Amino acid sequence: MHTRRSLVILAGALALAAPAFAQQPTYRIGYQLPLTGNTAQYGQDFKNAAEIALERFGKAGKPFKVEIVFEDSRSDAKEGVAIARKFVDDKTIVGVLGDFTSGVSMAAAQVYKDAGMPQLSQTASHPDFVKISKWQFRNITTQAQEGPLNADWMWSQGYRKVAVIAEQSDWGQTVVSYFVDAFKAKGGQVTVSEMFNRGLADFRPIITKIARERPDAIYTGFFYEDGAQFLKQMKQLGATIPVHSTSAAYNQQLIALAGADADGMKLTATFLPNNPAANVQEFVSAWKARTNQEPGQFPAQAYDAVNIMLAALERAHPNVTRESLRDQLAATKEFPGVTGATTFDANREPAKQLMRAQVKGGVFAPIAN
Amino acid sequence: MSASERPGKGLSRLLTLAILIAVFALAPAALYLAGRSYLYQVANLIMIFALLSASMHLVTGVAGLLQLGHAAFYGVGAYTAALLATRFGLPFPATMPLAGLAAALVAFLVALPTMRLVSIYFAVATLGIGQMLYLIMLNWVDVTKGPNGILLFNALRIFNFDASKPAIAYYVVAVVTVVSILVIHRLSHSYYGNALRALREDDQCAEAMGVETVRLKIQSFTISGFFAGVAGALWAHTAGYVSPADFSFTVSILILSMVVLGGLGSLPGAIVGAVILIGLPELLREFKAGDYRNLIIGLVLFSVILFLPRGLIGEASALDLMRRQFAGAWRRAPDRRGGMGWR
Repeated sequence: MHTRRSLVILAGALALAAPAFAQQPTYRIGYQLPLTGNTAQYGQDFKNAAEIALERFGKAGKPFKVEIVFEDSRSDAKEGVAIARKFVDDKTIVGVLGDFTSGVSMAAAQVYKDAGMPQLSQTASHPDFVKISKWQFRNITTQAQEGPLNADWMWSQGYRKVAVIAEQSDWGQTVVSYFVDAFKAKGGQVTVSEMFNRGLADFRPIITKIARERPDAIYTGFFYEDGAQFLKQMKQLGATIPVHSTSAAYNQQLIALAGADADGMKLTATFLPNNPAANVQEFVSAWKARTNQEPGQFPAQAYDAVNIMLAALERAHPNVTRESLRDQLAATKEFPGVTGATTFDANREPAKQLMRAQVKGGVFAPIAN
Repeated sequence: MSASERPGKGLSRLLTLAILIAVFALAPAALYLAGRSYLYQVANLIMIFALLSASMHLVTGVAGLLQLGHAAFYGVGAYTAALLATRFGLPFPATMPLAGLAAALVAFLVALPTMRLVSIYFAVATLGIGQMLYLIMLNWVDVTKGPNGILLFNALRIFNFDASKPAIAYYVVAVVTVVSILVIHRLSHSYYGNALRALREDDQCAEAMGVETVRLKIQSFTISGFFAGVAGALWAHTAGYVSPADFSFTVSILILSMVVLGGLGSLPGAIVGAVILIGLPELLREFKAGDYRNLIIGLVLFSVILFLPRGLIGEASALDLMRRQFAGAWRRAPDRRGGMGWR
């Protein structure tokens, strides 16, 4: 008897509550990223980061729900364009995150430009990406900001002759050009400027060539896989030239692969997991619970990109359209992310605070400015 | 399938008509009704790769030369079209034939020294050429913009007409692909095609019968390069962005897989191979196969090679051809001029 009554009450309560739940709208966001293929490790990280961000958002009790549709592009432009068409067709999708590489992001951007879909990439650093149309945004500092900063830093340490090496990619090209321009403008000298193809096994010829010119320091543009090889082979050859690098080298795997040979390398970074700020620690612990690892810079950028998108959705609610979401994205100001405060400028480029760090005893230790 | 066989001629005409109706009326009607630009995109991709696989069919399927660098000619075409469009503002009707010619020229130049190589040595040489051209695209930054790639604005413009709407772009791609494949069909189902088949079955025997093997090989290689270049122009103008990654070794292997899957020596087979290898991954995406997508495609390829060594509708067994290619490498050349690998 008692049970039946409470069931009736429960049913009545549910009937009352149902319309309230039904009224809560769900907005859908597309995320194109490489979940398989050569760059799958990055895509999987982005997916984890997005799910952490979404979980946190779901717990915050917002007046609407958000769903993210993940599509695997394999870092292949063919698939990236097809996914873009798919997202554009789906009228319930109001915004898109991704892709990982600049090439795929830009091929897809051509579709988003024509269809009018806001696209926010966490990593596309190609200088022309955001120039494609008013619909493209990115959450990665470009070398236009990082290059001159590193040039300043190296100059202030008394380095006057510097060698530069970077991977042969759209990003590597910008690493070299922005740094070299800034360093030469100060009156510095660039002894050698070398590009290498990604995945190079033997850096010794390049290192020998650099060492022959006796530079004060080396400025490098590499990701952790190549970076670890380079640093190990520097040690093997007994080269003791100080190494500086960009935020792309910031990855716990670099230290895992290069071990003590990474010690002393200096770099700029937008994200350090040992930053005591509350939001950073919240993300780091959520990431560790999920993957048993420390997060690198890319997952952090993806986490912020998703949160920037969610914040823009919240501002656009309840009139969420692709157009209004784009305008709200463009209005992002001082967004408090784990990679520092982010503001989009008029060209939809993010301005971020860059930190300085040095590898010391197996950790990336921040250097006070 | 073959138009040259007299008894089948009526049937073959009917089939051609059916295919034309399907490509130009039924498929666009279905796409229009579905109202999804995504499907147009998949259809365009299938046609571009059908053209690529048909052009490789001429060299690998008909003439029996294992080609491992086909994507490079595709890339030369795409880059030629993209550069002509961005630097000189040429419209698509001008860039397309020029892209074909540029790719044909490159194919001709690389064919001159390599065509005297036999069997597996030839395959390795084309692999090297493919990588060389890829590295040129990647590292000749002044011209190709290197890894930055080239962005085309208002990509599909036919004189003053903007054809970039998915439905119109579909027709542009369809017309170019169908005309090209008809030409390839005429070439491969003729005395000329049969001479190439003689090369595939036994080039020494063909040479003994008075067939000029080296000249035929160079010609077929050049023609194949031309159509790969045309496909490149289609990709550049429909995607609006080209970068070296689109023309890497894996793409060459993808095209080769299409030719082998459909069946060596069969033009319909090459096209079916393209439909399956581009269509299946997208179909599996629709069914949310997730990470199993690549696994399933691998399984399909593996099963076809295992159970249908001639491919789905092939006329020559890929395994037999490979076995002969490898055996040929160790066989002493009968004219005793070269020794290993040279003829």
